[in-house]
Amino acid sequence: MWRFLHVVAIGALIASAAYVYSVKYQTIYASEQIVKVRHLIAKERDAISLLRAEYAHLIRPDRLQALADTQLDMQRLALNQVVKADDLPERPVKVDSIGRKLESLGLLGQSATPNAGLTGATPSLR
Amino acid sequence: MSEPSPTAEEAVGAGESWIGRVKATTRALFSTRLDKSGGRIRLIALAMVAAYFGVAVKLVALGVSHDPPQTLKVAADQAVSGARPDLLDRNGAILATDVKTMSVFADPRLIVDKDEAVELITAVLPDVDAKELRERLASKKGFVWVKRQVTQKEREEIFHLGLPGVGFLPENKRVYPNGPLGAHVIGFVDKDNVGIAGMEKYLDQQSLTDPHVAGFTVDADALKPVRLSLDLKATHALRDALAIGMARYRAKAAAGAIMDVDTGEIIALESLPDFDPNNPGDVKDPEKINRVNVGVYEMGSTFKALSLAMALESGKVNLASRIDARDSLRYGHFTIHDFHATHRVLTVPEVFTHSSNIGAARMALMVGVEGHKAFLKKMGQLDRLRTELPESAEPLVPKRWSELNTMTIAFGQGLNVAPIQAMMAVAALVNGGELMAPTFLPRSEVEAATLAHRVVSAQTSESMRYLLRANATHGSAGLANIPGYYVGGKTGTADKIVHGHYSQDKVFTTFMAITPADKPKYLYLVMYDEPQGLPEDGGYHTAAYNAGRVTGELIQRVEPLEGRPPASQFPDQPFPLLARLGYGYDADKVGKE
Repeated sequence: MWRFLHVVAIGALIASAAYVYSVKYQTIYASEQIVKVRHLIAKERDAISLLRAEYAHLIRPDRLQALADTQLDMQRLALNQVVKADDLPERPVKVDSIGRKLESLGLLGQSATPNAGLTGATPSLR
Repeated sequence: MSEPSPTAEEAVGAGESWIGRVKATTRALFSTRLDKSGGRIRLIALAMVAAYFGVAVKLVALGVSHDPPQTLKVAADQAVSGARPDLLDRNGAILATDVKTMSVFADPRLIVDKDEAVELITAVLPDVDAKELRERLASKKGFVWVKRQVTQKEREEIFHLGLPGVGFLPENKRVYPNGPLGAHVIGFVDKDNVGIAGMEKYLDQQSLTDPHVAGFTVDADALKPVRLSLDLKATHALRDALAIGMARYRAKAAAGAIMDVDTGEIIALESLPDFDPNNPGDVKDPEKINRVNVGVYEMGSTFKALSLAMALESGKVNLASRIDARDSLRYGHFTIHDFHATHRVLTVPEVFTHSSNIGAARMALMVGVEGHKAFLKKMGQLDRLRTELPESAEPLVPKRWSELNTMTIAFGQGLNVAPIQAMMAVAALVNGGELMAPTFLPRSEVEAATLAHRVVSAQTSESMRYLLRANATHGSAGLANIPGYYVGGKTGTADKIVHGHYSQDKVFTTFMAITPADKPKYLYLVMYDEPQGLPEDGGYHTAAYNAGRVTGELIQRVEPLEGRPPASQFPDQPFPLLARLGYGYDADKVGKE
């Protein structure tokens, strides 16, 4: 009986020791991973700050102005380009210009075109 | 226990006296007899004294030694450039930022063959001076820089040399992506990333960053970006317009600034010639100073705004008063002339629009010397103006201030002030009468209201806006009167002093403008040093033709950028207080009906 209990106790001791060791090594591994990820983050941050600096250099106003002067056909904002909403002309009444043209040509009424139904291509509506 | 063997017994017998002595000594050592205590205490005391003496000697030795043994880590921490916060403009555009670069260092104690190392390194880095490097490597220090901030290619080549004792350290390098834009405000840093001018130095003075607190580097994440009041686009427009004008009028130097009159924020500030803070070079060159903050100048006729405001504020003069400008004003053997002489009695608006020296001098005399001094003191013109920028200048105030001084200062001669100081005063004259120190950091109107103090009444302030507007429509500021912006402005042309005399052909021109004149938001300043007249302007080199025209150009460029497009209609009631007093829009008619 005692011997059995001793064996159990020793077994439990070894098992707990093994567990503690595994936890310890997992912790070490995890902390190494954390350090690695931190380094990666720092590296990315440095890269981002470098890119931001490059971007700021590329959008500096004198460069943009030089590009705009050669590539775009823009004018300085002047008084004659500014119009108030009230000064805009009224929206024109919507006109069916094609229909009006047909009417002026006298084509809007009954035409002399042969009825489609006679050709048999489409069923007549008459 | 076993019996002692005969041989042992013999040995004991033979060494009886020796063993006995040992036993006696041992017993004596551990006995607590009183007569032995005194000696023992003395012995222990002696031992203690010796031990403490040893500690003291070591302490003195540590304290006296100059060069404590450095570990590489400590040395590197002290040498590496610390991180600094980014500088942003008011809209968040980057003005200054840090990027990581690699620097090459060496530990001379680990280098085996120094001559060989020098040879190999200088082969890869040709711009490193071989003699100097040899001297540095010969030092006893554990850490020396070989070259700061190397390129990627140089880094690889050094790495492939495989020299023991030579390594790399990441460092922060300050970069200014916009080059010279706003350089005088931003300032720059030295090789160790310590601010030595402009806002960079201000940041260090605020101890936001102390890059070399022993052994502890500041984490970049803890450094929040610092926003300035500058607007990058407006600064570019200002620099560009100034530079075009400087070439056109063949001026020696130019400067300009834009200020928000309600908050005192400087939106843009430029002084030409300038420098690139990425590569500041010879910054001691007096030509490259910040003329707006550090230069002191006779502001010429722009100073008349202060004289008229003083006379109006004193109540001795109102807009309809008449000032005699028929003859030149004599004082002792001095005579004051008008540049555009009218030889008649002028109204107050006419004194301003004709820029009459005689009129301004007479009005200042009405207030008197003491009143004049007190007013200028109140307007901050007699004391050094300090802003966040470490650079500032003391105004040149006459030591003995006679009536003659008052007369000349009234039209801008005899008192040299920093242009930013004059801007502060003019801003107070037009913003309703509230004086506040200009700032390079963002400031809300609420903060400004707590800082400001009233210097002139609301009515005087409105009169000044009226006069500035009148000068744009009827006077010398016509070239800056851009349609749609309701500009008001004042020219100033000061003759420069050459060999103790006022020169006729060398002038210093200034122009100040406000937009819009009924409720000003921005105050513009443009200055040119020794501009030349152009044939198409009839050879005139007065402020209207150079500084005035450039200001007009500037208003057209900057106002739309700030979200203030031109308006097709004049304001309905630009000057309500004056309208109630019966002054119409047409300043030419004031005091004549």
